[in-house]
Amino acid sequence: MDLSPFESNNSVSCRLVSQVPDVCRNEDCCLGIDEAGRGPVLGPMVYGICFCPISKKEELKNLKVADSKTLSEEERENLFEKLDEAKSYVGWALQILSPNTISTSMLQRTKYNLNALSHDTAIGLVQYALDSGVQLKEVFVDTVGPAEKYEEKLSKLFPGIEVTVRPKADSLFPIVSAASICAKVARDRAVKGWNFAEDLGEVDADYGSGYPNDPKTKAWLLKYLDPVFGYPQFVRFSWSTAQTLMESKGVTVHWDDDEEDGEKAAQRQKNKSMLSYFSASAVGTTQNQTHQTHRFFSDRRLKSLDAL
Amino acid sequence: MATKKKRTHRANTDSWVVITADSVIDTQKHDSDPAFVRLRNPSTDAASLYMLGSGNVQLFEVKAFEEDFHSWFVGQTVQRDGRLLFVTQMDPLYLILPYLIKSGKEGKFQPVNQVVMDEEFPACSRLLSCTRSLASLHHIAEEKEVGSLKFHRYSQEKTLNWLKKKVERTVTALKKRQISVGEGVKSSTFVRVKKESDYNEEDSLRYAHGLISEYISEDLSKALLRHLELPELTSPKETEPPSKKRKLSDNPVEAGEDYTKFNSADFARKPPKKMTTAQKTLAKVDKTGMKPMSSFFSPKAKTEQK
Repeated sequence: MDLSPFESNNSVSCRLVSQVPDVCRNEDCCLGIDEAGRGPVLGPMVYGICFCPISKKEELKNLKVADSKTLSEEERENLFEKLDEAKSYVGWALQILSPNTISTSMLQRTKYNLNALSHDTAIGLVQYALDSGVQLKEVFVDTVGPAEKYEEKLSKLFPGIEVTVRPKADSLFPIVSAASICAKVARDRAVKGWNFAEDLGEVDADYGSGYPNDPKTKAWLLKYLDPVFGYPQFVRFSWSTAQTLMESKGVTVHWDDDEEDGEKAAQRQKNKSMLSYFSASAVGTTQNQTHQTHRFFSDRRLKSLDAL
Repeated sequence: MATKKKRTHRANTDSWVVITADSVIDTQKHDSDPAFVRLRNPSTDAASLYMLGSGNVQLFEVKAFEEDFHSWFVGQTVQRDGRLLFVTQMDPLYLILPYLIKSGKEGKFQPVNQVVMDEEFPACSRLLSCTRSLASLHHIAEEKEVGSLKFHRYSQEKTLNWLKKKVERTVTALKKRQISVGEGVKSSTFVRVKKESDYNEEDSLRYAHGLISEYISEDLSKALLRHLELPELTSPKETEPPSKKRKLSDNPVEAGEDYTKFNSADFARKPPKKMTTAQKTLAKVDKTGMKPMSSFFSPKAKTEQK
């Protein structure tokens, strides 16, 4: 697995693919989808698909691929080697969603949550397999959100393919286990060799698991908090762990979609009460104002100053 | 979360982001540096910020672009205010004018350096050293020369003619830059099929008059409006309808529809509950495709039924 396309620019979403085995173009295939790195506050989330001819399911089982969570890092690396050796009939593809992609999706003006991002990534990978000529007949997915709804969504998108969405699919179907191993291996490697785009000097790489409840991760987050910029792009800004720390230790930043309400906010925004437009006296007061700036200036937000 | 944020009062910083012509800060020709000065604003009669170029030969007005939620990154620092100052050239006559009007009430010819004096804004005398000041005083005042001394007396007639020319020039500038002057709101990005050749002459005159009025007193602005032969806009006050409906007859009022059917208990209107900040923040989150909270409490077998 060559991660260099992602490492050269780790602020975006990046797709890594294996060669598509010829048999997959000619025979009916099954495909498994799984993800790694959904929960951590640090590093990318990786989506993986693995596909092989339905006839080769047994051979895949013999590779003893199992749920990546039950394996040690070394075992996972070994299994990935085995999958790579089986490239005559097993193909894979990965979508690495950088922490920056996750942050900007979830924090943009129209919120785009992690579930929706996950669904769209999975759909994109299945579409990739179809576009590469893989004869897909069966798709197995570990669920994100309610299983029935997800299954319905995928079935509608890919008519003619039998979609099975099941919680813990990675321990039920070997093809999903294989996908989960690919995803997990890619995530581990990406996190280990993280290229910090920011000029941080010698970075302390001892950030633990990256999960919010890991004391090492918390200590690292405290250490690398910049009062103005917050964190390097390695951190998911949309995680409440990061947000809480930035709010308490960083400089306050106001955005125009911050919701403030009540009288004070209205006053700050110079909004008038709706009622004022209906009372006769209000008309008088606006006219009695000492000076109303011409709209050429007010439209352009220009005003005179009386001091610097 | 957002409501917790408090805006501290804008701290005074010693740096600003300014846009201005290079010539403004060119100090080579004169010994003194350009400086910000506080002078009497002819329109508001209060203090406003201006700039006098080096050697006091040019006057500039200072306008600030100010909008919420803006900040600057300047080199390696952050500037909290996103303010952008514009230092643009200005005719010093506008600032001299109020002093001449005031002394003009006495009806005497006087030397200008005795007229343009202000205890509150002592810097105003520096206006007279601007190259355009003395040379253009004849636009707003009558001149008399006795020996080597010059005396001036304010002339409203001259001033209005001068201001009319200013308005006309402004109209030309507005047309050239295609600035929308109509009453309706128009988007500058909206592409009009018809070019604004049917530019309403009165609209642009009125708009230009409004712009010039930013630089003169209210009385003068009204006089200029008459001089331009523009009718004064009627105030909405007079056209406002009476606030209460008149009774049409003395018969008792009867409802046109029966609303009592909504009076049952289950239609009791409850006032909408106020949400807490936390609830509001949660409501903003994109929840598409997420499990409802209740699903976590239903028996496990149900989720794995398939």
